[in-house]
Amino acid sequence: MDIGHAILCRMRQTCGLGLLFLVVAGKALAQDSEAAALGLADTAPVASAVSRSWRLYVEEALEQVDMHFGLADERLHRSTLDLQIDKTLEPGWRLVFADRLDLGDVPNFAGVASTNQVNTLKEAYVSWAAQTNVLLDAGRINPRLGVATGYNPTDVFRDDALRSVDSSDPVSLRENRMGSVMLRGQTLWVGGSLTALISPKLAEQPNSAGYSLDIGATNHELRWMLVGSEQLSESINPQLLIWGDQGGAPQIGLNLTGLLSDAAVAYLEYFGGRSPSLAAEAMLRGNDTAYRSRLAGGITYTFANKLSWTAEYEFSGAGMNKEQWQLLQRGPVDMYVAYREFGFNAQDMVTRRAAFVSASWQDAGVRNLDLQAWTKFDLIDDSRLIWLEARYHWTRAEAAVQRQVNAGATLSDYGALPQARVWTVLFRYYF
Amino acid sequence: MFDRRTGWVLALVLLLAAADAPAAPDAQAVLEASDAVRNPAKPFGLTVSLIEYRNGQQVGDNTLQVYSRADTKSGQFRSLVRFVAPPRDADKLMLKNGNDMWFFDPSSKATIRISPQQRLLGQAANGDVVTVNFAKDYHAQLAAEEDVQDGDRQTRHCYKLAVAATASGVTYDHLDMWVAVGSNRPVKARYYAESGRLLKTAYFRRFQQQLGGERPTETIIIDGLDPNWVTVMRYSDYAWRDVPEVWLQRDYLARFKPE
Repeated sequence: MDIGHAILCRMRQTCGLGLLFLVVAGKALAQDSEAAALGLADTAPVASAVSRSWRLYVEEALEQVDMHFGLADERLHRSTLDLQIDKTLEPGWRLVFADRLDLGDVPNFAGVASTNQVNTLKEAYVSWAAQTNVLLDAGRINPRLGVATGYNPTDVFRDDALRSVDSSDPVSLRENRMGSVMLRGQTLWVGGSLTALISPKLAEQPNSAGYSLDIGATNHELRWMLVGSEQLSESINPQLLIWGDQGGAPQIGLNLTGLLSDAAVAYLEYFGGRSPSLAAEAMLRGNDTAYRSRLAGGITYTFANKLSWTAEYEFSGAGMNKEQWQLLQRGPVDMYVAYREFGFNAQDMVTRRAAFVSASWQDAGVRNLDLQAWTKFDLIDDSRLIWLEARYHWTRAEAAVQRQVNAGATLSDYGALPQARVWTVLFRYYF
Repeated sequence: MFDRRTGWVLALVLLLAAADAPAAPDAQAVLEASDAVRNPAKPFGLTVSLIEYRNGQQVGDNTLQVYSRADTKSGQFRSLVRFVAPPRDADKLMLKNGNDMWFFDPSSKATIRISPQQRLLGQAANGDVVTVNFAKDYHAQLAAEEDVQDGDRQTRHCYKLAVAATASGVTYDHLDMWVAVGSNRPVKARYYAESGRLLKTAYFRRFQQQLGGERPTETIIIDGLDPNWVTVMRYSDYAWRDVPEVWLQRDYLARFKPE
């Protein structure tokens, strides 16, 4: 054996021994850490959480608002009490109650704050399970439809339903609105369901008094709806709806979702029928009833680190196209203001096309820290709303910092909002 | 060289020896039996509490109520999960019907579809907290028979099963599972990604008599990358529950009110 061969053999032996050592050491380390984990589990406390029929939180919020149009900047303070009860009265009978009280500087949809006390009775209804598969409800109910994220054209009970607007976040807008008084029935079968509801006209006008039930905001006309769904396969479960109101033609709606992969969900929401434009509904022009479509479609992709991205395209055939929008912006200004107010209250798109992009990161690098960012682009006038939030939560409390920027040309969709930039700091405590 | 008679004698001896040795178990049957130890055969409900640790410090805890029933066609479990704690998540619901997963938030009344990758909890996957029949979506092969230390620090003689996914969209690509010889109790499992990366190790322990069988009442999950990331899952309040088929759909979620 020559010297070179001997050295090679020695090196191989050394490497082999080294590798063996690494494997053995790695295994021992794994066993050690597993033993430590089991030791930790031995000392884990016994969970004492019990299910409750109510949820109550208080929230304190401070806002610093930089205004558009040379208006004086504002510093706002709001206190909120939010109660939710879902109680089984006796087998088959259930009471649902949800109420929110805002005190202090309570902004309305246009961002105009007033020192006030605003109570929002969100829901108050009784539910009866006549059989396992037959359910009846009566009272103020908030039926919420729609699979899209930024714009829900099938969420037909959203108009005039907000009394206070604490954020532009679509989730917050859905949480804080009033339901409508209605009778609702649902029957279920394996993989399918049919719901029918009727919401009568009970009052003429909204009532802005702080503690009003504001029935006139939600029940100012007769409305009805039929919603059916059927599980066609594991990945396809479409929901179809027919909706009608007093004097209008029935509208049809569709909610469709599909699983593209383990990480991606695609969705499409459609609502259409013969209807006037938003401008005609706002009395800016005569009856222009025609077949109009509204839709929102997008994809949500989730990464393994709990970061989710959503991209959504939004279209409203009742909103204004570029020419109509520019004509309105040229004046007169009271027509512009009337149109915007109507659009705010209807929670509908004032222009025809928009895009919504959002990112949401749960446990963003730090456990219990959630980051969220979304932006809405008006594709007709290139104005945009940007919203950012960092929220940290403990077992019963959470603190958040929010930043909202409304940017665009004067009288554009977002550039015309009174607030230009908003900082919000809030603290919430759950009892 | 053997002569012809010696050859016959040798063959006979080998045959007798083979007949005397214990037959290798059917690995798939062992996996199925181990599923049956974890999962009752009829619709049932239980409470799952999860306590999460990072570097020895408790960083999170959740409590869930889970209602499950096996699908008559696929044999796989379908589950309704209600969040009980922490208070900010109370009454949120999840429906898991294979890969068809929906999440309902009672505050916004929104029912949204989620992908299997969208985890609602810390370390535990959605598939970890609900009941899973591995034998329905995975194929097992016997890899070894060996002694391992179980979660209660007892030495157990186990079958080591190499288990690979046969269905798409399942939570794990493949896993190693140690099942106690004789009792078919699941003892320990290692879960892997498609790349071969170890995702997590689980110990099943504290077996108690529940719903007609000895079942594990605790699972310890140890992260594959960071062994200091540990989740303790405890099961309690086992009870037979009526979980009608009509409940297991998107449009029932807003209606679900557990007992």
